[in-house]
This record gives sequence, structure tokens and C-alpha cells, in this order.
Amino acid sequence: MGYNSVLSLIEYVYINLFIKLERDGFGPNPFFQCLVAEVAQEHCSPEGHTVVGYALYFYTYSTWRGRCVYMEDLYVMPNFRGVATEQQCVRLQFSVLDWNKPSLEFYLSKGAQDLTDKEGWHFLRFDGEALDNLAQEVSAQ
Amino acid sequence: MDFTLRAATLEDCKDIARMITELAEYEKVSDHVKITQKDLEQDGFTKNPFFHGIIAEVPEQHRSKDGHTKVGYALYFYTYSSWKGRAVYMEDLYVMPEFRAKGIGKALMSKVAQLGLAAGCTQLNFAVLNWNKPSLNFYLSQGCFDVTSDMGYHCMRCEGDALEHLAQG
Repeated sequence: MGYNSVLSLIEYVYINLFIKLERDGFGPNPFFQCLVAEVAQEHCSPEGHTVVGYALYFYTYSTWRGRCVYMEDLYVMPNFRGVATEQQCVRLQFSVLDWNKPSLEFYLSKGAQDLTDKEGWHFLRFDGEALDNLAQEVSAQ
Repeated sequence: MDFTLRAATLEDCKDIARMITELAEYEKVSDHVKITQKDLEQDGFTKNPFFHGIIAEVPEQHRSKDGHTKVGYALYFYTYSSWKGRAVYMEDLYVMPEFRAKGIGKALMSKVAQLGLAAGCTQLNFAVLNWNKPSLNFYLSQGCFDVTSDMGYHCMRCEGDALEHLAQG
């Protein structure tokens, strides 16, 4: 693949993601909310970015406790780490990979509990063909 | 056995609350349930609902020992994956014990999958307790995979005092 083809592919993936985020987060029925962290121009990153972090979240529901908020992503650009959050929710939930020790320790130090270790909860998922097959199981009842 | 599936309405909240309690008893956590029928009405059936429900009903002649015709439910809401986009999360799936092994649970889950696909979702996600072998085996037999075992994701939570402190920065 020549340089131009590779660049076009990257641009295509980026633009595709960009359009999806616009549609899914900023249309009439948003699937998520997003907070961004900004620094003043004089503290911008080496590439010139002033938006240096984000949290992407959405509201969920626990049939035991009620309204919750799920933090899908929490990210701060590496140069800006180590520096220093409404809807009557009773829980903040998120997930973290078991090998990601720095993040795990950070969250535990803030009072988060690891429900997988503590209570045995596992996330399960249907996607791709398995999801299609499952959807086709329902016949007219 | 004949059964029908339909979208839950405000009038179903009493039975949903009943079945939530039954499910919590099965999961050995009855004292964790703080949700009331009124909470469900407020949170699921106003302008910006926090969840949607599907009810499984049987005809009057097949009602339960206690006289119930609403014998199962699925409760779900839409979520977002920053990698894959729109997703649907199934918070609860429950069928009363005397109505199990008749395809009702599978039909409820399939309905959630259908609705999710129609809304443009590419994932159906849910959680199960690792000691709950019957459910785990059922789900795996339907083609899902265990994100926690396979990929190492742990479910984390902040609540109570920890949540208050976090919010105060």
C-alpha cells in the first residue's frame, strides 16, 4: 500500500469516527455525554492541543438502587497527567482492565470497589454474528 | 406453552417491582433492593426514561400459583462504546421459576437483541455472577462471550461516601 493509500485509510477511519460521534452524541437523542478538560493556550501540548482530556459517560439504571452513571472513557494526555466531576445518581460505574495496575490503584484510592473481585460479577457480550443469530430467535408469538 | 412479549407500560411497574425482588432473592441479595414501584414509574415512564422494559405474559388459564399472568421481564437501556458505537445493556432478565425451560428467557433476550439492532447497536452487554452456573452456561450456549474472563475487564463502582467525595474533587 503506497503512502497516499495509507493516509487516505487513516483519514477515512478518523472522519468515520468523527461523523458517528457527532451523530450519536450531539443529535436529538444522544447516546452519551462528554466532558472535556481544557488548558490555557500558553500550556498547550507540543502539537498545539488545548483540549487535553475527556470523560465520556451516559446514564444507566440499577433495578436495585436506581439511577446510575457509567463512565465509558476517562483519558488525559500523558503530558498532563498527575495534575487534578449532577442528576441525582447513586452510583458511578466503569470498567478497567486487570493488567492496568496504575489506573486500578488510582480508582481504588478514590474509594471505588472492584465488584468483579469482591462479588464475582462478569461482563458478558453478544456481538457480530452471535448478536444477529440471537435477534433471529424470536418468532412471532 | 403460549406466551406473548410486549413493551412494558406504567401499569406493569407493580409486577416489575415484584419480579425484581424475586430476582434479588435468587441472587441472594434481597437487602440490596431499594427501588420501589413509584421509582420505576418515575424513572422508566417519563419524558427521558432511564430504562425500557419488555414483559412476558401468559394467558389467564396458565397463570402462576399466585395468580400472576406477567411471568417474566427484561429491563434494558442504551449505552455507548467509544470503540464500537451504540450498544444496548440488559440490566435484568428474569422468568418466574415455574415458567422456566419454556423458551421465555431466550425470547426476552432475543427481543432485546432485535430492538438493539433496530436502534443501530452492535453489542448487547450484561453481567452475571460467576457462581451462577446455570445462567452462565445458558448465555455462553447462546453464543456470547465472557468479556471479564477473555479480556480482563473488571466492573468498578463508586457509591455512597466515596461518590460524594469524588464529586467534591
